[in-house]
Amino acid sequence: MPPSTDPIYTGLGQAVRIGTDLLASLVVGGGLGWVADTYLFASEPWGMVAGLILGLAAGIRNAYRSAQRWK
Amino acid sequence: MENPLHPFELHQLVHLSLFGLDISLNKAVLIMWVVVGLAATLLVLGGTSRRLVPTKLQSLAEMLVEFIRGIILDTMGQDGLKFFPLVGTLFVFILFSNLLGLIPGSYTVTSQIVVTGVFALMVYGLSLVLGFLLHGIKFLGILVPPGTPGWLLPLMMPIELISQLARPISLAVRLFANMTAGHVILGVLFGLAITGGVLIGWLPFAFTIAMNALEVGIAFIQAYIFTVLTCVYLGDAMHLHGHEEHAH
Repeated sequence: MPPSTDPIYTGLGQAVRIGTDLLASLVVGGGLGWVADTYLFASEPWGMVAGLILGLAAGIRNAYRSAQRWK
Repeated sequence: MENPLHPFELHQLVHLSLFGLDISLNKAVLIMWVVVGLAATLLVLGGTSRRLVPTKLQSLAEMLVEFIRGIILDTMGQDGLKFFPLVGTLFVFILFSNLLGLIPGSYTVTSQIVVTGVFALMVYGLSLVLGFLLHGIKFLGILVPPGTPGWLLPLMMPIELISQLARPISLAVRLFANMTAGHVILGVLFGLAITGGVLIGWLPFAFTIAMNALEVGIAFIQAYIFTVLTCVYLGDAMHLHGHEEHAH
């Protein structure tokens, strides 16, 4: 087993994270928007639209932040 | 051809119930016991022989412990070492269940989203509890990235809230999806090898073997990522906005 500072593992570990981070933020954002639409405000479809946009922004911010840690 | 998702279905083997609570045994539970037993045997046997010139088992156990220690020091710093038991247990359990699932006829416990979801919620819940214990109400400041101008706050706070809520989900889904997808691919390729017969079946069979080797790497990397992210989340809760100094 290589040491945990092995660049291959650190690099792969960082890279593999980003895809799921993007997706999860999008799902959470869209989900929150959908909940707001259906149960809180009856504002279909605008809550989900706003939620998806915010989720996308959060996902990109997450990816950007994990790339910053990479240094 | 067999449905490639069929191996993931669980059926009751022994029916048990405790005060009306269904605690029946199924394959996943049994394999989990095997995983715990194997990991405990390796670490206890490797840990009791404290020789200067280590035996094979001892050096394996020492390598494992050093590896986990390295992850913690990298991501959380010296004061993260008090989480060693939790982080180490997670890493060893996930690694062993990923690897054990690659033995044909066995079962991958981590391909059940219940298992990975409970781990992720446990880790994330602990990071929330830790953050509020250490920083009190100031922990909510994690929603405001340092250096945000005031007029951006109404936009940044929902974004940060979403990215916080996405953490346990991405943690759980990543491990579950990687394990499930890998085993579905193995299942499909092996099914092709069976239906293909001798004439062409050797080709998917060769791919099955190559995929199995790749899956060993994925098993290791996914256990590593889960552990690193556990450390990152706990570290974020411990040093609020302080991760710039602790990042390597």
